Amino acid sequence: MALRSTATAWGPVTRAFHWGMLVLFAGIVPVGYYMTDLPLGPQKLKVYALHKSVGLTLLALAVLRLAWRLGERRPALPPMPAWQARAAGAAHVLLYVLAFAIPLSGWLFNSAAGFPLQWFHLVNLPALTGPDPALKAAARELHESLVAVFLVVVGLHAAAALKHHFVDHDTTLRSMLPGRGGRP
Amino acid sequence: MRTLFTAALLLAAGTAAAAPTYPVLATQSSLSFVATQQGEKFTGVIRDFDARVSYAPEDLAHSGLEATMRLKSIDTKSPDRDQAIGTADWFDVARYPTATFRTVAMRMTPTGPVADADLTIKGRTKRIAFPFAWKATAGGATLDARVALDRLDFGLGGGEWADESMVAHRVEVVVHLTLAAPVAAAPAKPAAH
Ligand code: HEM
Ligand code: HEM
Repeated sequence: MALRSTATAWGPVTRAFHWGMLVLFAGIVPVGYYMTDLPLGPQKLKVYALHKSVGLTLLALAVLRLAWRLGERRPALPPMPAWQARAAGAAHVLLYVLAFAIPLSGWLFNSAAGFPLQWFHLVNLPALTGPDPALKAAARELHESLVAVFLVVVGLHAAAALKHHFVDHDTTLRSMLPGRGGRP
Repeated sequence: MRTLFTAALLLAAGTAAAAPTYPVLATQSSLSFVATQQGEKFTGVIRDFDARVSYAPEDLAHSGLEATMRLKSIDTKSPDRDQAIGTADWFDVARYPTATFRTVAMRMTPTGPVADADLTIKGRTKRIAFPFAWKATAGGATLDARVALDRLDFGLGGGEWADESMVAHRVEVVVHLTLAAPVAAAPAKPAAH
């Protein structure tokens, strides 16, 4: 099977990025909400460290995924109203933007708070800015709001995919699902 | 000011001998430590401290270093961390507001002077060797030192916090004192009562 997307289906690389990142997002979001309420202690710092490591991994994957995607063709959509095609396209662009903006806002918050940043105990990353209480508060707001927007967009995006699959019985979902499904 | 006063008292008490006492220029001096959190070094500056320095290489018996550090003044450039550092797991500043350093003996080694000193942090005292570099300057002298400590020796971050992947055990203390010309060693008049 070719790695690239074809006229009828997303290629395996795009699918791997798509579902791999979904799994990581599904893990990091609840961890993010959960960790802020933990009492201060090493346990809390460890969960934060994990959150940040996974978040940085998602940022790296977003870079790789976008680089790969720019060289890809887009499989033709099954017949659907033009507004749906446009909405889907806009959602995809927005999801790409958020896949960068969310981890970057987390990194900014972390920097302004003066916290260390280490990727899985292996590499330390520099702060984007010096400690700054005002910026810290703003970046925290931003991080949280971007996640909220993300959850709404992903919800619509997933609902649309499921609607195409179960209601319209078209190939939208199958063109992205693992396996050989493509568009006829 | 306080240093001058202490010096005057000591002179009055007749305990000071040939080793002169140097007033510490607070604004040009710093007391800090370098620790490692999640693989990243950070510096904690102890802004509020007093130090007393009497030193003469030819009279080590009467030389001595003393410092009192008020730990509420620790600044690590992260308000969250500063707050955490004051809690019972770390410095417990509510119960132990100060740390003290007091030499018990002074000796000369091939690499320079070494003070053997009692360092007390969080109510625990440990005898440490404190090698330092002394440089006479036009206006007085400078004293520089860099000494590694194990934070667990002082009960800083025990229990769950003992995990080195979060905060390393080794902490370096960095001292830079700028000293003005010594207080005149002339016999002081008796302290006023
Ligand atoms: C890429 C995906 C990421 C997602 C989906 C995500 C999601 C979240 C969520 C849901 C929260 C809880 C929001 C709140 O209640 O305040 C949170 C908090 C946090 N995130 Fe992220 N995050 C991501 C990446 C990162 C990165 C890369 C960093 C740091 C480099 C980071 C640092 C933080 C920090 C420090 C907090 C705690 C905020 C606080 O203590 O108030 N995040 N994140
Ligand atoms: C809950 C689960 C999800 C489902 C069921 C789902 C489903 C799909 C489907 C069927 C497609 C193909 C649409 C088409 O061909 O036009 C697609 C594409 C896409 N999805 Fe999702 N998705 C989900 C979650 C996510 C998440 C969390 C992201 C976030 C980053 C995301 C980002 C994208 C993007 C950017 C595309 C366009 C293809 C590309 O450029 O990589 N999806 N998704």
